[in-house]
Amino acid sequence: MNTMFLLQKTVMAGRRVGWAAGMLLAMIMALVVMASTNQAFAHAALIKADPPDGSVLAQAPAQFALTFSEPVSPLVLTLVKPDGTPVALTSFRLSDQTLEIDDPQPLKSGTHVLSWRVISADGHPVGGSLLFSIGAPSAPPAVSEAVDWQQRAAIWIGKVLLYVGLFLGVGGAFALAWLAGGGRAGQRLVTVAILCGLVATPLSLGFQGLDALGAPLSHLAQPVIWRTALGTSFGSTVLIALVALGLGLLSLAGPRAAARPLALAGLAGVGAALAASGHASAAEPQWLTGPIVFLHGAGIAFWAGALAPLGLALKGRSAEAAPFLRRFSRLILPVVTMLAAAGVVLAVIQVQTPAALVGTAYGRLLLVKLGLLVLLFTLAGVNRWRLTASAEAGATEVQRRLARSIGAEMLIVLAIFGIAAGWRFTPPPRALAIAAAQPVSVHIHALQAMADLSITPGHAGPVVASMIIMTGDFGPLDAKEVTLVLSKPDSGIEPLKRVATKPGDGSWRVDNLVIPVPGRWTVRIDILVSDFEMVKIEAPLDIRP
Amino acid sequence: MNKYLLSAGAFLVLGTGAAFAHITLETQEAPVGSTYKAVLRVPHGCDGKATTALRVQIPEGVIAVKPMPKPGWTLQAKKGKYEKSYQLYGQAVTDGVKELDWSGGSLPDEFYDEFVFRATLTADLPVGQKLYFPVVQECGDAAERWIEIPAAGQDEDALENPAPGIQLTPKK
Repeated sequence: MNTMFLLQKTVMAGRRVGWAAGMLLAMIMALVVMASTNQAFAHAALIKADPPDGSVLAQAPAQFALTFSEPVSPLVLTLVKPDGTPVALTSFRLSDQTLEIDDPQPLKSGTHVLSWRVISADGHPVGGSLLFSIGAPSAPPAVSEAVDWQQRAAIWIGKVLLYVGLFLGVGGAFALAWLAGGGRAGQRLVTVAILCGLVATPLSLGFQGLDALGAPLSHLAQPVIWRTALGTSFGSTVLIALVALGLGLLSLAGPRAAARPLALAGLAGVGAALAASGHASAAEPQWLTGPIVFLHGAGIAFWAGALAPLGLALKGRSAEAAPFLRRFSRLILPVVTMLAAAGVVLAVIQVQTPAALVGTAYGRLLLVKLGLLVLLFTLAGVNRWRLTASAEAGATEVQRRLARSIGAEMLIVLAIFGIAAGWRFTPPPRALAIAAAQPVSVHIHALQAMADLSITPGHAGPVVASMIIMTGDFGPLDAKEVTLVLSKPDSGIEPLKRVATKPGDGSWRVDNLVIPVPGRWTVRIDILVSDFEMVKIEAPLDIRP
Repeated sequence: MNKYLLSAGAFLVLGTGAAFAHITLETQEAPVGSTYKAVLRVPHGCDGKATTALRVQIPEGVIAVKPMPKPGWTLQAKKGKYEKSYQLYGQAVTDGVKELDWSGGSLPDEFYDEFVFRATLTADLPVGQKLYFPVVQECGDAAERWIEIPAAGQDEDALENPAPGIQLTPKK
């Protein structure tokens, strides 16, 4: 009777699962169609603003008008008052290429920042801000990027559930098809995990879109959010993950004969989904990191996925539990070795220096994860070498202990998923190092001459400055001599004055320059146009720490 | 007596402080439509090096330039076309000296010297404004360029290497 009931339930679950797979296919089709219409047009550019940037007005304007090079639709419009409080601008009209925004009267005197973010036909968000003052200029309000914790939590939960779906769901389906030997213990849990993933994966995509556009959660329904997210590399992860989840579901519900190939394809899909985006697979060299992330992901799915069905089989004391355990413990050693090796390689590539382990948020998360892993490996080792042999022989008490221990392992695995999902918000030290090496550039434009100056790297320390000098109307300017002067009046440092050399590629260079302190410097370029004519142009430049 | 001391002190602090370092003209103002005797005062070399050449650019509106030769220095006057035609004693003048060049000499850093030329300031020059004579001081392979002209509203004292100039006053 009990068996009949179970069978019936499985068949019903199977039907439901089949229906879900159909829905999934339709969803993927819709996403693919949306992605393919995402063609590259030119980005919209702001060509006129009223009030103009930097203007001083006698009284507050009735409305603001932003004219773009092509039709746009606004995403986020904010006015930051002189005291720093942001006001969302929600009343606006679109007339052709001009965006007219109503002024939320009354505005006090002082300097305001009008911050805008719009999306153009190509689906790319474009943002900027302009300053205007009423009465007289005041110190411009500090525009800070507030962290939207609600949105972060949503992204994080979405990511954790995506991992649950991929590792516990698809991995579980693999374990059931290949290792369980006909036992169905844990099938419901695995199905639930996959369904969890199927719900969370598209939502994650939406959250990604919100994050990319800096839009609040309430904008989740807007098509542009989804189009933008699909345009990012995370879009591919989501599409592949959906396919993998679908394959896992089909292997559970479909014909028995197809279960094994479907589950194997699903497991491969897990690896591919993770390799399609993320910090690790974006790291150089990509021929190495891509495959390694794939192996790491597939390995986790194999291990974590088998835990629930195995634990439940042992707990239920089913006849298949012992052979299941034997197959699992035979394979787990090479799989974990590969998993750990892949993890070590990725960690070395990402963290680069031991100091970054404690010095960066990414490194600290890795340390916590490593701590959890030590715990996990200890448990797994005890299971493998102390308990497995007697459990395989059929010792009931040991089997129960093993089941409990596997339950603990599951909890640790979930905690590790949580940590890994946290990496979504912490750039790895590798990326931080690349960012630190980026130059700072400034374009200085005056009537008689202009210059493009870039300082590499853009932080304090030894740098190289490179300049392209042109006439005020973009013509060639064959200067007789170019001198770079860096000053920082508030630091008490005398101006650094260096005569530039001509490397012969049309630019001017200053080597062996050391910028002693970070902060806002004033750069001045003295251009000797002719024997008796010198043009001096200057601009502020922010040097990173 | 106190007043006298005070103003003398003020003169010392404000009036001449900057002038010691720069190349300047002895006569700081002149009426337009007159003949001007320019005396360029060279107080020192370039960072301790001896001055070996001095080149002066003649601004537009200054015509009939005659430099005074100096023993030990080779004098050259480079001529060129003016931007427009000027009247000099009833005659149209369209070209003349654009640059003066004393070279081949040696004025040690610790000595002082003067370089002199005479010129006619045409009546077309803008009264009330300053007229600048950019100077390049060469010391072997080094050079000091006294060629900076303040932009509108800029304080002349803020310039590192200001060009010597004179204030133009109304025609007498």
